[in-house]
Amino acid sequence: MDTIRDILTQMNEAMAGFDGDILPFVSMLIRFLLPILGIIIIGRCARSLFREKSESEIWGQLRLPNGVIVDLNFWENAIGRARKSDVLLEFPTISRNHAALIRDDKSNWRIYDVESKCGVIVNGKKLDSDAGLPIKSGDAIELGSVKMIFTAADNTDEYEQAVYRTRPGRFYKQATTLVFLTQFQILLGLQLSLAMGEEMTSALPISFLLLIALTWGAYILTRTLKRVAFEVETMGFFLSTIGLSVVASSAPTALMQQIMFIILGVCSFFVMGWFLRDLDRVKKFRRPIAILGPVLLLATLVLGTRAFGAVRWIHIGGMSVQPSEFVKIALVFAGAATLERLFKRRNLIAFIALIGLCMGLLAIMTDFGSALIFFVAYMVIAYLRSGDFATMFLSIAGAGFAGLVALASRPHIAGRFASWGNAWNYVDTAGGYQQTRAMAAAASGGLIGVGAGNGWFHRIFAADSDLVFAMVTEELGLIIALTAMSAILVFAVFAARSSGSARSSFYVIAACATTAMLVFQMLLNVLGSMDILPFTGVTFPFVSRGGTSLLASWAMLAFIKAADTRQNASFAVKTPKRPIYAGGGNMVYATGGNDVFDYNQQYEGGGRR
Amino acid sequence: MNNVKFRTFSMLVLVGIAILGMGFFTVRFVMFGEQWAGAPFNATAFQGGVLTAGSITDRNGIVLADMTDGRRTFAANGDIRRATLHAVGDRGGNIGTGALSLYAGELMGYNLITGSYSLSGAGRQLQLTIDAELSAVAHRALAGRRGAVMVSNYETGEILAMVSGPTFDPSDPPTSFDPAQGVFMNRGIQSAFSPGSTYKIVTAAAAIENISDIWSRIFVCNGVLVTGQGDVTCPGTHGSINLIQAMAVSCNVAFGELALELGGRLLDSYARSFGLSESTRIGGMSGVNTASGNFDIAPSNTAALAWSGIGQSTNTVAPASMLRFVGAIANRGEAVELHYLKRTGLSGIMPTSTARLLERNTARQLEEVIEIQNRGNFPGLEIYAKTGTAQVGGGLDPHAWFAGYIRNEGFPLAFVVVVENGGGGAAVAAPIANTVLQAAISG
Repeated sequence: MDTIRDILTQMNEAMAGFDGDILPFVSMLIRFLLPILGIIIIGRCARSLFREKSESEIWGQLRLPNGVIVDLNFWENAIGRARKSDVLLEFPTISRNHAALIRDDKSNWRIYDVESKCGVIVNGKKLDSDAGLPIKSGDAIELGSVKMIFTAADNTDEYEQAVYRTRPGRFYKQATTLVFLTQFQILLGLQLSLAMGEEMTSALPISFLLLIALTWGAYILTRTLKRVAFEVETMGFFLSTIGLSVVASSAPTALMQQIMFIILGVCSFFVMGWFLRDLDRVKKFRRPIAILGPVLLLATLVLGTRAFGAVRWIHIGGMSVQPSEFVKIALVFAGAATLERLFKRRNLIAFIALIGLCMGLLAIMTDFGSALIFFVAYMVIAYLRSGDFATMFLSIAGAGFAGLVALASRPHIAGRFASWGNAWNYVDTAGGYQQTRAMAAAASGGLIGVGAGNGWFHRIFAADSDLVFAMVTEELGLIIALTAMSAILVFAVFAARSSGSARSSFYVIAACATTAMLVFQMLLNVLGSMDILPFTGVTFPFVSRGGTSLLASWAMLAFIKAADTRQNASFAVKTPKRPIYAGGGNMVYATGGNDVFDYNQQYEGGGRR
Repeated sequence: MNNVKFRTFSMLVLVGIAILGMGFFTVRFVMFGEQWAGAPFNATAFQGGVLTAGSITDRNGIVLADMTDGRRTFAANGDIRRATLHAVGDRGGNIGTGALSLYAGELMGYNLITGSYSLSGAGRQLQLTIDAELSAVAHRALAGRRGAVMVSNYETGEILAMVSGPTFDPSDPPTSFDPAQGVFMNRGIQSAFSPGSTYKIVTAAAAIENISDIWSRIFVCNGVLVTGQGDVTCPGTHGSINLIQAMAVSCNVAFGELALELGGRLLDSYARSFGLSESTRIGGMSGVNTASGNFDIAPSNTAALAWSGIGQSTNTVAPASMLRFVGAIANRGEAVELHYLKRTGLSGIMPTSTARLLERNTARQLEEVIEIQNRGNFPGLEIYAKTGTAQVGGGLDPHAWFAGYIRNEGFPLAFVVVVENGGGGAAVAAPIANTVLQAAISG
């Protein structure tokens, strides 16, 4: 109440001092409008993403001996006695993880023997290779003497199923959200121009107009590709807009460079999405891309320059590149895998070796922020793949030990820990200088900010990168800063949710690992600059200035699109072609849910449950 | 796939942690935002470390700090400027206890919604509980000596005077400061001095609560207390006296004996619970801590323990902590949190936080012990207090202490006077207290 009374008093005083200059009032109005628009934009995107339950798809069926028909809801289906099997067969001769039925991009199915004791027999022929066996509709599969008939969905089935699924954007028109975003962009540009006054150059209007054009251009391209969902992109553009405002305030001469990187980022997003459409292609290039990770890091170590205690940058022709940002993408390719590979322990071990190598190289480069982010990605990937808590705990213990060694050997890291949590006792020393300024600046902004371009924090070193959260809070206020954080969290929740209807575990693991990295990176940036976690100096995805980080963040967004299987939603997911013949279809649609072939149903008084 | 699908719940754990982090940060932002924004490097409200908005008045509306033509100005009267320096602060932001630094967030007109960027650019007016005229009287009485004079209302916790010497005129600051003088330091809050005989109140309180026959106990003073490891001398030879007489004549033998009987551990726990050997808070969450005191527990040396019980040895106390303690005796054992920012609005309605330092009965009995019977030097004052003359060694004069309270109708005032290397408590500190208290009750 005191606060509101205070503002009213201030307004009154400001009115009394009115001297015909209306611009301060416009700027004031914009300060109040921007947070409202921010909430509307992120709120609409989130609600649109989470409006519908994720609906499962049917890609094939198995007819069991008792006549029960089991749907195959994924491109990758595990068959076995294990509780979480996709086709659960409670039969003593069936192994826990018996077989995997996998559909590829071109509707070809293969069956793999995973960890069976009695083997897999297809049409009377025993499967004896790791590469699996192609199967087609009507084939008889025998697993541990349980016989079943396989049916694959044909083109008609897939088309019909696609048509009946809920289309996103029916409840929240994507274009309307974009109109709000455009208002946000225009108002922000206007406020910046008011703050800059005489010093404003043409770069400001040009860069903001380019951003608006890019936003709508990307939307029109999506619609041209006959796709409707644009929430993920909208949030990406929202964050990039804030990033552009940060650069306009901290380094106006770098505006054109920043907008160029945003354009490049969006291009890389579309290219990456296109690349991910084809799972066969992805599988083919997975290994080379994964190996690129440590190679890039090694290159940094050899060619890079040491700056501010860490070797992070390679300078190429006047441009500085931070390869570790791209290594994140390589890591996702290395970690994500299709189902038939998940059960093979040696695949996981190869991945652990790769990530260990990367983290070792990062330690030599003293880039501990990136090492931490890689570690979180590793944890998520390893857990999604193995579900094994023991491995997790071992990893944490190992990382903790490595962390202690790092602390002991690098005094400047230890120094950061010493000042952690009581930065105000280190106001003018290296341990707390940046954090105390960051906290003062953030608090100075209050909920609605002092207005874009009106802050002072941009004069502090790394204000627009490692400390960008403070700068956003100072100039745009806590509300917009929190909506920016929420946007990243929405990515993560959506990635987890889309696993329900995802086709391949590759897309699920990739989307989850990507968003886990984004979330953790954001947390390190925010809580590190606010003295809640030790200050590690990482960027806020999309918002921090820095071409490489921006580029990598946009490219990583494509992984989320690739996991978005809502109907016609994502350009990174293929839709079935209209069938040539009407009618028909192979599927038998049951009224109930998935039935389970139960041993007890068949054999009276069965021993186990 | 079901497997993987199920495991993606781990993502929600990560998101949950992130939301907790966000929530924790937001709570801190709301709680401490005003303090953070009050840092002198917040260039939205400061220029070169000088706060560019807001004004400060004393409890009667006398302006102590203002903005005139974009420049920070101070009280019109020179004595008031010097007397209130340590409560108000200076242009350079050098005074840690000054309201200009301490309440900068409030002064700049910070509020949670618009932050430190006020619509009108005017800032807020703050009122202190300090009485500027009374402070000027105290400043004149201190007469340029190093030391501190503090007066508080023991019922409300409001500080009426907080004068520290040496001081300077904030309108016309000296071009250079001698660091050895510690002129920026508020000696009332930020220094701890050897307390001398004022500490006998602590020993007496412990004795009242722990020695059953304390009221019938007769001490025999022949000028020296012989302990196993050395003697404790007494300035007088007091003969056979009881507790009240021993306090009146400040007998070292009587209180040295009591200290030995009570033991170091017990006395230490009392000193701690009275907030004398620890740091206490002034002004609540957004306020300052007093300098931490010390109590010499003297585990092996009996002479040191006896000295410790009479406020010598290595004992130290911050004057403000002593003020809080004597105020608690006056307030029947309950210490009201000291503050010098007038509580208005919501915080004015909420009761000031209190802490019970003594049992009600102990406080009442202690009052009898420290009552000053001979009021010749304090005309018209019903005064309860203790002098202290703290030997500091090194050939320096002792610190002169006088701490206590008065029970005059309408003036529930506690006070503490310390003159650094000033001499005897009765001769040096008590007259200053008398001058200030007379001025206080005459209004």
